[in-house]
Amino acid sequence: MVYFLRRFVFFLGTLWAAVTLNFLIPRLQPGDPAEAIVSRLAGQSESVDPAQVQAIRVMLGTPDGNLFDQYVQYLGAVLHGDFGISYTYFPYSVTHMIGQALPWTVILVGVTQIISFIVGTLLGTWAAYRRNSRVDSVITLGSTFLGTLPFFWLALLLVYVFAITLHWFPERGGYGGGSSPGWSWLFISDAFQHSVLPAVALLITGPIGWIIGMRNNMVQSLGEDHTRLAVARGLSRRRVAITYGARIAILPNVTGFAIALGGILGGTVLVETVFNYPGMGRLLLESVSSRDYPLMQAIFLFTTVGVLVANFLADLLYGFLDPRVRKVESA
Amino acid sequence: MALLEVDHLSVTYTPRDQPANRAVHDVSFHLSEGEFVGLLGESGCGKSTLGNAVLRLLSPPAHITGGRVAFDGVDLTEADDEQLRKLRWVDLSTVFQSSMNSLNPVIRVQAQFADTFAAHKVPGDVTERATELLELVALDRRVLRAYPHELSGGMKQRVALALALALRPKLVLLDEPTTGLDVVVQRGILTRLAELRRELGFAVLFISHDLGTVLEMADRVMVMYGGEIVEDRPAAEMLREPRHPYTRGLLGSYADPRLPDVRVSYIPGRPPDLSRTHAGCLFTTRCPHAEDPCRTIHPDLLPDRGGLVRCLVAQENRLPVVTLGSAEAATVLGSHFPATGSLDRPADAADAAPVLTVERVSKRYTSRRGMRTNTVEAVRDASFALRPGRVTALVGQSGSGKSTLARLVTGVERPSSGEVRFTGEGGADVRVDRLRGRALRDYRRHVQMVFQDPFSALNPTRTIAYALSRPLANFAGLRGAAARERTAQLLESVGLSPAGQFLDKLPHQLSGGQRQRVVTARALAPEPRVLIADEPISMLDVSIRAEILELLGDLVRERRLAMLYITHDLLSARLLADEVLVLNQGTLVERGATREVIGSARDDYTRLLLDSIPNPFGKAAGQQTLPST
Repeated sequence: MVYFLRRFVFFLGTLWAAVTLNFLIPRLQPGDPAEAIVSRLAGQSESVDPAQVQAIRVMLGTPDGNLFDQYVQYLGAVLHGDFGISYTYFPYSVTHMIGQALPWTVILVGVTQIISFIVGTLLGTWAAYRRNSRVDSVITLGSTFLGTLPFFWLALLLVYVFAITLHWFPERGGYGGGSSPGWSWLFISDAFQHSVLPAVALLITGPIGWIIGMRNNMVQSLGEDHTRLAVARGLSRRRVAITYGARIAILPNVTGFAIALGGILGGTVLVETVFNYPGMGRLLLESVSSRDYPLMQAIFLFTTVGVLVANFLADLLYGFLDPRVRKVESA
Repeated sequence: MALLEVDHLSVTYTPRDQPANRAVHDVSFHLSEGEFVGLLGESGCGKSTLGNAVLRLLSPPAHITGGRVAFDGVDLTEADDEQLRKLRWVDLSTVFQSSMNSLNPVIRVQAQFADTFAAHKVPGDVTERATELLELVALDRRVLRAYPHELSGGMKQRVALALALALRPKLVLLDEPTTGLDVVVQRGILTRLAELRRELGFAVLFISHDLGTVLEMADRVMVMYGGEIVEDRPAAEMLREPRHPYTRGLLGSYADPRLPDVRVSYIPGRPPDLSRTHAGCLFTTRCPHAEDPCRTIHPDLLPDRGGLVRCLVAQENRLPVVTLGSAEAATVLGSHFPATGSLDRPADAADAAPVLTVERVSKRYTSRRGMRTNTVEAVRDASFALRPGRVTALVGQSGSGKSTLARLVTGVERPSSGEVRFTGEGGADVRVDRLRGRALRDYRRHVQMVFQDPFSALNPTRTIAYALSRPLANFAGLRGAAARERTAQLLESVGLSPAGQFLDKLPHQLSGGQRQRVVTARALAPEPRVLIADEPISMLDVSIRAEILELLGDLVRERRLAMLYITHDLLSARLLADEVLVLNQGTLVERGATREVIGSARDDYTRLLLDSIPNPFGKAAGQQTLPST
């Protein structure tokens, strides 16, 4: 219990630090970034809503005014999810843009990550279980080979073969011209078709890390004395492999997986760019290239919080899976 | 038909990028029902490999390359996985070395019992059965709910023993079961083991490098050297008259520290390289009795005076007669190292002004857990002094505060109360417990450490010359050619000669004893005045321990070093130290001249430590009076 409480306090502390850094960094810039943005917005279009200007000020700070008051206002805005407006997508708010992009990424990357982890762990376990056999060589060498190929090249190859040459799948975008986002069958099947190629690209490279990690950890745990003793005790091969091998080998991968899941919010820039997929990665890329500070800042905050939450969950899970950690923490 | 029959068994390691290594060569022995057999040998002699081969637990690159192992008439070498699985633990169980993790760290003790019962479809209530088994080894049933890391080393080993007895096997193979445990804890486990064996009547194959334990426990002892069994005879006979020169050497390295005159010998040289073929006897190069035929004829293991021996000289009855533990034995056995009683110590050493004084030092550690604070008093009101040219032994169980005291002396930690004073150059008085930063660094050049584990005390990727050049550069400002020259001198001074041979070697190319010499040389590099040796020989092979003790003793005398020798091993303390301090739970309970403290201990705790030492001579005492001069 002490362990879990400790992890939670630690999580809150880091979260607060991340949010506060996000508040401080723009205020450390010389001049008035909010004013600069307002003037850019004003130059772009006819009218700026004073409420929006206020929101920008809350997010980025005003040169005058009490820093503490600003901080309180900022925390309030963050709590309400009010991150100001994007000036590339004016007049849409940052929250709106993120809300648009997030489901695409979460579904595409989230699903492929989970599948990658499961497939990778299973293949790694199998390779370690049949160590030095042909199965092991095929899995280990095969995944190492695929891992050396540049990801964008693989993605482009997929587009060239399956979209441009064979016309099996659309080559770019998240949905076609014929449908519009909504809960219609047409849209869902269309979105699925569009997601196949990026998903395949992610699934080819996704499991590699988990395979190698799992195999190596498990080969090691199968060499430990407790495993040898389990064999000497007459436990079945399968039982030894699962309880004494995989059960211990999976521990480091759990943390890795949680962090990977947290990273989803930042999007997968490369894959979304190659396939022109309307997710967080592309949004991030666009915000950076057009110096859209409010949007960038919000995406960074999102990513940080995502990683933190995932880490926290991983810690909880780890404490549950590995009794040794609880002990060390509370001792 | 014997219970376990091993016939002409050979095991070879065939690593991919190294020459094949025949770890076990043509080994044959039988073990009868209920018999307790010891398998004695030093690291690398093949004893654990033999044990694993018997259990069929060898993993590549090790393979059985010849011979057979039969258990109760079933050929284990031919059995397939499922046959083996059914036989395992039901007939043949094992306990591994305690320092390793033989329990699964992520499941509770109860689950490990449950696993075992389930694998062999044992009916009944797991908790009830497991509780009974734990009672056998004197453990509370609460242990079932614990995870392995929540148990102490001794408790884990008791659990492992209970687990080994779970299915009432006919044979239990114990591979170094108490190595790495504290003497007192070891004593408890061994006593329980002997009692259980009497009650349950299982046979034991006891593998260990610790001849005190093996000789005390076993009915019959087999000695292994270079992958072969070189001697096999009843323990009492072996004590009375060891017949192989190697056995003699091993026994010579052991003595009862309570005797008025203690002498131990060591076996110079290193074990043979088993990746090469050798004509003749494998022990020739280290043997004081070797003759010409020994170099060309490989001796067989032949009957000899109620046992078996693999030695041409012994078989022809030309070995000199020797009484173990005597001064005469030491000379017959070659190199020897007498205890300090007979040393020529500088007369003034006892009265010399102390280099380092510890005055009424206490150290408390406070740990906070939730709202509660927990204070542990690791050292309580300890006072002692270290004088030049003298060795002070600090003796105690693990957890008694020995290492904490060492950390206080080196300035790594500060005492909660009390003073640590060092007399610097020109008689300057330094308060070690108040040093900081630069001053602390300067102080450390005067106080150096020799560590316990020579295998991890040296960076495996750096040469010996580099390891020694660091303190020279840091403390003496020596670099380049000057440093190299000094490095060579240092190596020579610890007996690694010619130094040129060792300078550019990497640690793994040296033997354990050579590595410990390098660690010692490194400690000497800044020319310290105080040397702290923390269990410097406990990781080394028995036959070379005395060699390192001799080196340390010589260095103390020649260089007038003050030495704090930390150990749990009273024999080595008896050999090396002028003065002994006995530490029990942070308090110094007894102190005095070594011979008096060990010879006539007054404190109960000191006596407990002494009584815990395995004492094979006690067993032989029925047939023979204790050797003395």
